[in-house]
Amino acid sequence: MTTNAVPMSQWPSEHRYTIPVAPGPETVTVTIDGRAAQIPRGELLIKAAQDHGTYIPRFCWHERLKPVGMCRMCLVEIEGMRGLQISCATPVADGMVVHTTSDAVTTAQDGILEFLLINHPLDCPVCDRGGECPLQDQTLAFGPGESRFVEEKRHFEKPVPISDLVMLDRERCIQCGRCTRFADEVAGDPLIDFGGRGGSTEVITYLDEPFHSSFSGNTVQICPVGALTARPYRFRARPWDLASTETSCGACAVACRGSLESTSNRLVRLLGVDSEPVNQGWLCDKGRYGLDWVHSDARLRQPMVRRAGELVESSWPDALDAAAAAIRNTLDTHGPNGIAVLGGSRGVNEDAYLWARLAKGVLGTDHVDAQLGDGLPADVVLGMPRATIPDLDRAKAIVLLAPDLKEELPVLYLRVRRAAHDLGVPLVDVAVRDHGLTPYATAVLRHAPGDPGAAAGVVADALVGRPGRTKVGKAIVDATDGRDGPVVVILGRTSVAEHPDAIVHAASRLTGLPQVRFLSALANPNVHGALDLGLTPGFLPGRVSLDAGRDHFTKAWGAVPDAVGRDAAGILRAAATGEIAALVLVGCDPLAECPDRNLARAALEQADTVIAVSAFMDTAAFGATVVLPPTVWGEQSATTTNLEGRVVRLGRRVTPDGSTLESWRIPAELAARLGSDFDLETVDEVQDEIARVAPAFAGVDASLLRRARDGVVLPLADHADEVTFGRAGAGPGPSWEPILPVPEVVGDDDRSPSTSASDSPSAAVPAPTPPVPLHRWDAPPDAPSVPPLDAYALRLVAGHALYGADAIVAATPALASLTHEPTLGLNARDRDRLGVHDGDRVRITTARGSVDLAVRTDAQTPPGTAWIVANAAGPGAPDLIDLTSPVTELRVETIS
Amino acid sequence: MGRLSGFRVTITQVFRPRVTEKFPQEKRPKPPRFHGRHVLNRYEDGMEKCIGCELCAGVCPAQCIYVRGADNLTDAPVSPGERYGFVYEINYLRCIHCDLCVEACPTEAITETKLFEFSFARRQDAIYTKDELLVDDEGRARRQPWELWLGGEDDETSAWMRATSSSGNAAYENRVAWSGELGFGVREPERGQGGDPGALPAPDQGGVS
Ligand code: SF4
Ligand code: SF4
Ligand code: SF4
Ligand code: SF4
Ligand code: FES
Repeated sequence: MTTNAVPMSQWPSEHRYTIPVAPGPETVTVTIDGRAAQIPRGELLIKAAQDHGTYIPRFCWHERLKPVGMCRMCLVEIEGMRGLQISCATPVADGMVVHTTSDAVTTAQDGILEFLLINHPLDCPVCDRGGECPLQDQTLAFGPGESRFVEEKRHFEKPVPISDLVMLDRERCIQCGRCTRFADEVAGDPLIDFGGRGGSTEVITYLDEPFHSSFSGNTVQICPVGALTARPYRFRARPWDLASTETSCGACAVACRGSLESTSNRLVRLLGVDSEPVNQGWLCDKGRYGLDWVHSDARLRQPMVRRAGELVESSWPDALDAAAAAIRNTLDTHGPNGIAVLGGSRGVNEDAYLWARLAKGVLGTDHVDAQLGDGLPADVVLGMPRATIPDLDRAKAIVLLAPDLKEELPVLYLRVRRAAHDLGVPLVDVAVRDHGLTPYATAVLRHAPGDPGAAAGVVADALVGRPGRTKVGKAIVDATDGRDGPVVVILGRTSVAEHPDAIVHAASRLTGLPQVRFLSALANPNVHGALDLGLTPGFLPGRVSLDAGRDHFTKAWGAVPDAVGRDAAGILRAAATGEIAALVLVGCDPLAECPDRNLARAALEQADTVIAVSAFMDTAAFGATVVLPPTVWGEQSATTTNLEGRVVRLGRRVTPDGSTLESWRIPAELAARLGSDFDLETVDEVQDEIARVAPAFAGVDASLLRRARDGVVLPLADHADEVTFGRAGAGPGPSWEPILPVPEVVGDDDRSPSTSASDSPSAAVPAPTPPVPLHRWDAPPDAPSVPPLDAYALRLVAGHALYGADAIVAATPALASLTHEPTLGLNARDRDRLGVHDGDRVRITTARGSVDLAVRTDAQTPPGTAWIVANAAGPGAPDLIDLTSPVTELRVETIS
Repeated sequence: MGRLSGFRVTITQVFRPRVTEKFPQEKRPKPPRFHGRHVLNRYEDGMEKCIGCELCAGVCPAQCIYVRGADNLTDAPVSPGERYGFVYEINYLRCIHCDLCVEACPTEAITETKLFEFSFARRQDAIYTKDELLVDDEGRARRQPWELWLGGEDDETSAWMRATSSSGNAAYENRVAWSGELGFGVREPERGQGGDPGALPAPDQGGVS
């Protein structure tokens, strides 16, 4: 018996510790425990065995990490090879005959486990992993059952914090290297490593530098023992207390898949589910640990109505009546143009659709905007050719015209990093300042704030093979030469301190590229769903413009607005001048979210009526006429749309405390009180109505969404072949292995998704063509005029930090402690020129206003610019920005 | 004697020893392994034995135990180790006194006294929390007004014993040694059913290893 498999020790050094051959289409025949199987050439034996029903025990190997062969738990016997081989680093070869349960193998497994348990404390009763621990489980299944070791085990100080969120118990660590490899290979934050040798090997952080990574929680999930524990979850439950529901994270627009777990009606844990096209098992720490806000005492549990100047708690019928009366009043005095609806980008698809239907179909106003001046024009987002996240992996090049993804869309950062770093896709970074992805960029282009056009032009030329005279141009041409595939442009607001026209203009220079596709980098959790469902002026649900969809929607709804309405900036301005008298704020607080706080304040002060749909008593709700608290993420089942346009389901895991109303019922109830009964009883009926009425959602009904494992990308007609049903592999796995997404069993007929014939992974999905042609973005705008650089002023760059002042962070104690005071980030040169030092407080003045902030030297910020986080609590960037001006120039004076 | 023959049973009973007792003034001694109302034990230094591991809650067939753990404060620990039982409740309206919780407990924290004479007028009283279950500073059960303690029921409460046989082997006998207990110190190890005292470890070598 000969095989051509080569053990890892003999691989060429450049391949060692990397997966040697990408599994190809060719298959080879391998016999595992007497069963022959066809396996793609180059697949690792451990994975091949798992896919064919043989579980080989393992500690260090993880499907999403490179194999290292550290734990030796996966030893198998391969006929024709001397000794036992580690199956996690042995690629399959034709004719291999493998034994996983022979005497030699079980003896080896006994030995390995006995060795591992020499130093492993028998801590299980106090260990968070106890009950779901691979070491416990595999010792029970494969171990010797008894230890001959009677000597003292090694001792370390019990849990030591290695970051604000993660604790390390070095006694329990079995040195598998999953955490260190994750931090280095996947997150790109190599802040933990092994120190010491032999029995005193331990995971360490570098010299007083804690494991500050936005992805640290993933190490806790994949650690095969309880060595890493998460502070927010520690001791809050044991595995047998937990009930789980699959859902998507609701903290940003990536919508990572997760398994949401609760005990005693409290959300306690979110684990990453391995959705191949989206998050591949990872979550960021904000999504993973942003749970406690749902149960926060600050949540509103009762509607409130202003009576005699005071907000008082009231019943739902009274509050809805009061809101409807206020709206009717405004309609009588100001007509439909006196009402505007702002927000909806943090909700779900169902409420976005019904708010759009209420505003446009019932009230007749088109003054509706989900973005508060912090986004991109809907014309662009809805009309640009859209990319999906998997397109990144096979792209010819990725062009970043986006804010810092590591801060705003963390798991998208992981996917871009993987494409660029592991898969060799050229990454072109066009930005004002350095950010998380800059180290992985093939070409870096820097431009002055407000003026990305020229840089985009260089990129556009280079991507069609015209390097021009610049070095970066040549670098791009060299890197992309001979590659094909789509050019994926990640498009977002690089800075909220400049007018969006600048970035749109830059993007328009790239639209001519062959196979160009855009991935939106707008960050609010459901901003894409809100735009797709018509919460934006000039559009109707389903990515159709007001004019194109007029007939279709007049039939469906009875009426649509006559003319295109105002966007958020226009609405706020009109409210400030009294033209708009009633503002409906759907889960948004303009004072915190709008980049121009002065404008928002003027608008809220002037408006006669403010109806706030808000889970918290935020600053806007304080001045509201009626406050309606909706049910939130984790408390209601619904759907959300992520930045690819992928519609995924959100699960309900806990029952809300107090009296809140499912978010989509609020607009439906208001409509009923204003004389239009939508006749919708369940959330499924809303989804079915969306599928029926909104052209881009054609075919995406409740039943399809239930069965589609990774959701459905819009429009279905273009992505029908990507929809997958059924379970991959063995279904829901334990938490330390990649957990696979599982579709829900359909309704009352108790078919198991994996056995239903029509849902076999290859079943074709009926994809109706949209009844109305979808909107396309053409007409590239003219270059906006940017004032010349002023040598004495600094230009403001403002972006969002991961841990900003939003409700999720503010009302979750574990995350609230991670926020920072806003500072003024300056390049060392500007700092010296201004004669200030780190920590000095300075007065920053723009045409719009002035604030006092402390100075911080920031190497990422280039000379001539100043960096302020836009979503920090307290005075900051929003007090300085004017929504209408192309850039924000600021002056700095020292104060004593 | 024909008339008296009908009283034969009665007359024989008159001369038999009396089996009824003046309950509740007097109680019969109960067997040492009697399963009564539980206590949560403490170590000799006063620390709680319960570590909040929820194994008892996990095993309880009546699902009547509710436990939640929490981090021990380093300057004022409640139990040795990282974690302690922050909430501990047993609902005696559901408990079937099977003692599986006692068997599951890795630290001999939950054990049973021999008291079964307790009844409730209010449902809340039936839910024993740490306030009721935790032994007092003498290591004795805290007596509730509705419980009838006559003495003896709370002696040697930490009489831990298996309720089930090891690995299904009924003949298996382990030797149980004890950790010190507030109010009682270290108990004599219990004899196995085979009763070979020579094979037992001396009490001072105690400690479960
Ligand atoms: S801490 Fe966990 S994941 Fe990291 S090396 Fe130790 S056992 Fe492995
Ligand atoms: S990247 Fe976004 S969706 Fe994913 S876990 Fe983080 S916040 Fe949630
Ligand atoms: S004795 Fe049995 S029923 Fe009662 S609490 Fe213990 S395990 Fe539950
Ligand atoms: S009584 Fe014992 S089993 Fe129950 S939680 Fe406490 S230590 Fe664990
Ligand atoms: S899993 Fe193969 S060596 Fe660890």
